[in-house]
Amino acid sequence: MNARFPSELNVIGKKVNRLESYSKVNGTAKYTHHLNLPGMLYVKVFRSTVPHALIINVDVSRAKKIPGVFDAFTSSDIIKFIPDPYYGPAFLDQPILAIDKVRYVGEPVAVVIASDPHIADYATQFIEAEYKDLPAVYDEIEAMTSKSIVHDELRPSGTFPDLKHLIGKKNTNVALDYHLKRGNLEKAFKESDFTFEHTFKTQQVMHTPLEPMVSIADVHLYEKRVTIYTSSQSPSFVRLEIARLLGWRENQVKVVVPHLGGGFGAKLYIKLEALVTALSLMTGKPIKYSQTMDEQFYTITKHPTTFKIKSAVNKDGKIIGRRCDVWWNGGAYADIGPRVTQKSGFTAAGPYDIENVEIESYALYTNRPPSGALRGFGIPQLVWAYESHIDIIARKLSMDPLEIRRINLLKNGHPQATGTIMKDAEIELVLERLASRMNWSAPYHRTSGTIKSGRGIAIGFKASISPTTSTAFVTINADGSCILSMSSVDMGQGSDTAMAQIVAQVLNLKSENVRVINPDTDSTPYDMATLGSRSVFHMGNAVKLAAEDAKNKLKLLALEAGLGDDFEGPYADIFLKRYGMLAGSLIGFGVYIPTYTPPDKKDGSTTNATPFWMIGATGVELEVDTETGHINIQRMINVVDCGNPLNPTIVETQLSGASIMQLGFSLTEIMKLDNGQVTNASFSDYKIPGFNDIPIIFENEMVDAYQSNGPFGAKGVGESATFGVSPAIANAIDDAIGIRMTELPMTPESVFMALKDKFSQ
Amino acid sequence: MQSFEFVDINDKQSAVKLLDAENSLIRPQSGGTALMLMMKSGIYHPEKLINLRNIKELRGIKLGKNNELVIGSMTTLSEIEHSDLVKLHAPVISKTMKKLANVRVRNVARIGGALAHGDPHMDLPPLLSALGGIVVTLKKDTDKNRQIPIKDLYKGYYETSLLLDEIITEVHIPSLENRKTSYLKSTTRSADDWPAVGVAVNFSLINNKFHDVQIVLGSINEIPYKLLEVEKYLENKNITDEVIRTAGKLAQSTIEPISDSLGSAEYKKQLVKVFLIRALNEAILN
Repeated sequence: MNARFPSELNVIGKKVNRLESYSKVNGTAKYTHHLNLPGMLYVKVFRSTVPHALIINVDVSRAKKIPGVFDAFTSSDIIKFIPDPYYGPAFLDQPILAIDKVRYVGEPVAVVIASDPHIADYATQFIEAEYKDLPAVYDEIEAMTSKSIVHDELRPSGTFPDLKHLIGKKNTNVALDYHLKRGNLEKAFKESDFTFEHTFKTQQVMHTPLEPMVSIADVHLYEKRVTIYTSSQSPSFVRLEIARLLGWRENQVKVVVPHLGGGFGAKLYIKLEALVTALSLMTGKPIKYSQTMDEQFYTITKHPTTFKIKSAVNKDGKIIGRRCDVWWNGGAYADIGPRVTQKSGFTAAGPYDIENVEIESYALYTNRPPSGALRGFGIPQLVWAYESHIDIIARKLSMDPLEIRRINLLKNGHPQATGTIMKDAEIELVLERLASRMNWSAPYHRTSGTIKSGRGIAIGFKASISPTTSTAFVTINADGSCILSMSSVDMGQGSDTAMAQIVAQVLNLKSENVRVINPDTDSTPYDMATLGSRSVFHMGNAVKLAAEDAKNKLKLLALEAGLGDDFEGPYADIFLKRYGMLAGSLIGFGVYIPTYTPPDKKDGSTTNATPFWMIGATGVELEVDTETGHINIQRMINVVDCGNPLNPTIVETQLSGASIMQLGFSLTEIMKLDNGQVTNASFSDYKIPGFNDIPIIFENEMVDAYQSNGPFGAKGVGESATFGVSPAIANAIDDAIGIRMTELPMTPESVFMALKDKFSQ
Repeated sequence: MQSFEFVDINDKQSAVKLLDAENSLIRPQSGGTALMLMMKSGIYHPEKLINLRNIKELRGIKLGKNNELVIGSMTTLSEIEHSDLVKLHAPVISKTMKKLANVRVRNVARIGGALAHGDPHMDLPPLLSALGGIVVTLKKDTDKNRQIPIKDLYKGYYETSLLLDEIITEVHIPSLENRKTSYLKSTTRSADDWPAVGVAVNFSLINNKFHDVQIVLGSINEIPYKLLEVEKYLENKNITDEVIRTAGKLAQSTIEPISDSLGSAEYKKQLVKVFLIRALNEAILN
C-alpha cells in the first residue's frame, strides 16, 4: 500500500468493475440460503385458506405427532413470549401469526418446526383450522365504503407524524388520506376551454426476487441476545423493530446481511425476521425460514391502483388545472403503503407546471395479500395514468404528444404542486434528448397491412423519500489500507462498488482495494434502509463525509507525528512515525440527513419536499399484430437524469433492469385472484419477461446533469427507468391502432378484444 | 416435497421390471422438467422414480427403413434441435425446437417424456401427430414391442394409452419427402411460455392442389385436436388465398376450445384461424 494524499486518480464516472463480480460468477458468494448453523431447525408455515374470517380454532396436535417434527405453534404460543406480537413500519397491524382473525388467503396461521424442511412441510398438512367467514373486500374503490372492515381499530406505529390522527379510528378501511390543494381548481375548470377525465387501473404484481426471502434467528437465551441472518434491505430497521418487539436494547439484537439475490422493495422493514426470532426464543434453537417462490406471492406485493384524473385544458394545450384521485389497494396489512400514498401521492399531477391542483390519495385495507414498496414506490402507477391522460388530450386537440408536454413542462425555478421550487431537475433536457434520439420531428414511417406500427413517449418524476439518515465509518489501517463500514445493502444494484469509488476518490486509492463491510449491525453503523434510490445520495454523502473525516484525521496524525503539513504520504509512514511500528488505526465518521420541511396538514404544501428529484422518460417504437393483438416492441429508449453517474456501466444496468421489470408489469405480469386466492403463484403461470421478450433495440441515456447537493453530483437511479415504460407502450399502441388501453397488463388478448369492440361498433 | 426412492438404471429391460402395472406411485422419469414442477407444487408424490436418463440404448438419432427418422426416447430436445439428420429429414422439427420452452429445458427434457407427459399445452404432441409419427414401447414381462401412432396416444387431460408398466423406447417419424409441413404457435404471456395454441400442418401438393392434409391443434382441448373438417375441406382444393382463408374461418367456427389461463375460448378460436392461415402459407413456401 502506497496510498498518498495528492489526488492522482479520478475514479468517479469510470467504468470500475463490481467488487463482487468474481465471487458471484464463480458461485463462491455466500447468501443466507447457504448458511446453516449447528442444531438449526426449519420452519414451514400453515396458511389461511379463507380471505376474511374469525378464527374459531387451530389444532396443531396431529402435526406435532408426525415423526421428525420438533414442535408446532400458533399465535397463542407466541403471545406467551411476546405479549403484543404486532409489527409494521406505519401501523402495528401485522401479527407474527394470525390472532383471532385472518385477513387474506395465505396469511400465516400456524407453523411446524423440524430438523428437515420437507418433514416440516409435510406436517403442515395435518394442521386443522376452523373459521367463521366474514364478508371480504378486494377492490380499492369498494373498500372506501364497504361494510366489510379489515381492521377493527387502526394502530399507527408512531413513526410517522402524519398518521397520528388515525389512532384508534374504527369502522374504516382508510389507512391514510392525503390531501393537496394548490390554487383555485374550481375556477380553473370553469374558465378552461376543455375538461378531460379518465380513469386508469393497475394490477397486483409481485417483486419476484430470484432469491426468495430467507431469515435465520439464533437466540442466546442465557446471554439474552439474538443474531439474525437475513436477506433484508433494512438491517437497521430490523434491529430496531425486533428490539421493540422483545423489549430489548438495540445492542442485544445483531442483524447480519449476507449477499442478496434481488430485493426490489420486497425485503424491506420486517418480513420473516419477527417469526424466526419468536420461534428461536421459544425453542432455544436456531431457526431458519426459507420461503419458496410461491410463498413470496403471499408475503408482499405491489399496490393495485385506481387513478381518476381530470384536467382543465385550454385550446393551446396549456393545462391550467388538474384533479387527481388515487386509491391504493394496500391489502390486509399496511406495510409501507401509507408512505407510498403520501410520498408518491404529491407528485400525482405529473412533471407539469399546473397552477391549480388538487390531489386526494387514499391508502386502503382490503383482503388481498399485503402491498408495499416496489421499485418506484407508487410512481409507475401514477405515471401510467398521467402520461396516458396527456396523450389522449393531445390526440383530442390534434396536437403533437411531444409539443403538449413541452408547453406544460415543469422547469427549474418553478414551483411543483407542493410549492417546492424545482432545482437540479433536468425534466426538459430528458424530454428533448428522448425526442432527439427518436428523431421525433422527422416524418414517421408507418407500415401497411395487418401489422401496424406506432410510437409513444412518456416522462415521469419522483421525489426522494425524506427525511432519512445514513451514517458510515471509514477505517484506515496502519499499512494505509482502508475499510468502509456501512449498512447499505448491495442487493445487486452495485452500491458497494459505487461507495468504494467515493472513498477511493477522496483518499486517492484504487476502488477495488477499498474493503466494503456488508451490514452487520454490531459493527456497521445505522442506515435508514436501502430503498427508493436513496443510497447513492444519502449513504454516498455519508461515505464521502466519512472519507473526508478520515483524510483530515490522517493529516492531523501526520502533524502529531512531526511530518509537517506538506507531508504527501504514503499513509503507512504516518502510522510508522507516530506509533514506532506498523500499528494503530484511524476512523472517519460521516452522517448525512438532508434538510426537509414537512407538508402543511391542511393543503399539503411545503417549501422543501425532497432533497432531489429523479427524472425518467421512455420512448417506444412498436408493431401491433391486429389479427392477434400481439405487441412487438422494436425499440425502447430510456433517458434519465441521475445527476453525475458515478459508474456509467452500473447505471446502465440499473436502467435496463428497471425498464425490463416494468415491461413485465406492463405486458404480462398479473396476480390472478379467485375469491382472494392467488391462482398463479408460480413462475409457471406468473410470467416475467425472458430474453426473447426484450425489445430488439434497447437504448439507455443519462443526460448531462449535476446534482449540486449529491456526492460528486450524483443522485439515485434505481427506479427512474420504470416511470415511462407502461404509458409509452399504451401511447404507441394508440398511435398504431387507435385503441386506448387503460388497464394493465396490456395482454395480446386485451388488445385484440379492444380492437374487436371498436370494429363491432 | 416428500422423500421418495430414486433408482438409477442402465438398461431398458431392468427399468420396466421395476415398474408396477397396479401402482401409479412408481413411475419412470425422463428429463424430469415437468415432473419436478408437479412434485414441487404438491400435485404428485411418487414412492419411487425409475430414472431412464442414463440408458444409453434409448438415446440417439438414426435413419431407419424407408428413410424414417428413428429417435431414441431419451434423446434430449436440444440433441434433436442440433441434429443434422433431423435438419435434413424433418426441418420442421428442428425449427420447432428453437422456440420450444427455453434452452435450459431443452438441454434436459427428453422426447419420450415430452410425449408421455400428456399435458395438452405442448408443442411436440400436435406436431408429431400431424407428421404421422409413432412411438415404440416396451412393457414389463413381454418381448413384443407395441407401436402406437402418436395421434392415438392421448386419452385425456394428462392421460395417455401407455400402461403403468410401459415406457416409450423410440419415436419414428416417417419420411417427409415431398411433404409440406409447418408448425406455428402463439404464446400469450412471455415468449417462452407454453403455447396458447399450436397449429401443425402436413400435406402434399399435387398440381397445385392440397392432398392428404393433416392438421393437428395443440392447447385447444384436453388432447391434441385433429381438425378433420378442415382437412376434408382442403382435400383436392386449389391453393388460393380464398381457399386458405376459408380453411381458417372453418377452423374457427368448428372448434370448441377450453378457456384457460393462456386465453379465453373466443380468443383461442381467433388465434387458430390466424395461425392456421399462416401455417398453411408458410408450409407452401417451405
